Amino acid sequence: MRDNVKGGALTEVSFFVLLATWEPRHGYGIMQFIESETNGRLRLGAGTLYGAIASLEKKGWIAQVESAQDKKLYQITKEGEKVAEAEKERLRSVIASAERIMEGLCVNTDTFGE
Amino acid sequence: MMKSQEQWLNKMAKEGWRLIQTGKLSYDFEPCEPGAYVYRLEFVAQKSWNESKKYQIFFEEMGYKVWTKNINLNWSMGKIRWRPYGEGAGQISTNPGSYNKELLIVEKEDDGQPFELHTANADKAKYYGYMRNVWLGEAGTFLLLSVVFGILAKNTVVGSICLILAVVMAVVVLIFQKQIKKYNDDSKIEE
Repeated sequence: MRDNVKGGALTEVSFFVLLATWEPRHGYGIMQFIESETNGRLRLGAGTLYGAIASLEKKGWIAQVESAQDKKLYQITKEGEKVAEAEKERLRSVIASAERIMEGLCVNTDTFGE
Repeated sequence: MMKSQEQWLNKMAKEGWRLIQTGKLSYDFEPCEPGAYVYRLEFVAQKSWNESKKYQIFFEEMGYKVWTKNINLNWSMGKIRWRPYGEGAGQISTNPGSYNKELLIVEKEDDGQPFELHTANADKAKYYGYMRNVWLGEAGTFLLLSVVFGILAKNTVVGSICLILAVVMAVVVLIFQKQIKKYNDDSKIEE
């Protein structure tokens, strides 16, 4: 319902890259973060991660920051934080719908059983 | 073609041979612990030399080892080649430069986990799209050649050979297209 006509749902990969770069991380760090945060459910291929980082950088939602090492460090931008915040709210409302309907159904069956 | 190269490198690694160097027609190996490494081939001919280099550095920062390799898609012998399937500056290939470096060989130490470079449906569709476009270009080229030889130059033998090659390549395009459609359809439901 925001400025995004399509509802602005992020892909899970994009959202997790935004979360991973809440503090500066390099490519490998982003991959590790996502893997451990999802208990290994989401294991990104390096090519897919590269594409996601490139797209988010192009959007201006993450940016490269100064790094002491040679490796490139990425960090979320103010704009990126806003997008992530909106996505969190969107997911919250999705969960609310799911809980209302799915758990509501469970209650109904229980009553039916009695 | 790429798949068989990849399988061969993985077979070598299982037998205790680790890649140390690639040449235009050669691979050099050294003995290693059998099964210590796994390989993936990545098609990068659509990328400019600069983009391809950045991609390679990204992989290296992941802790992978990367080599470049030529793919036998170059029918011309010149030092510059136009790639209609390229993206932006990736359309012009020069030697030295991206010419003869159409593939990346990516090596990872085998940690028992699956090793795939592309894991999201939309990304897979995009990646296979690049390869389809190459074959589409080649099919078109041979179709044109078959017209030139078979009809204009009245050389039916060469014309027929070109036509057969064009058809074979068109079949490859269709195989890619089917795969791409599947990934695109899947991406609408699942990442």
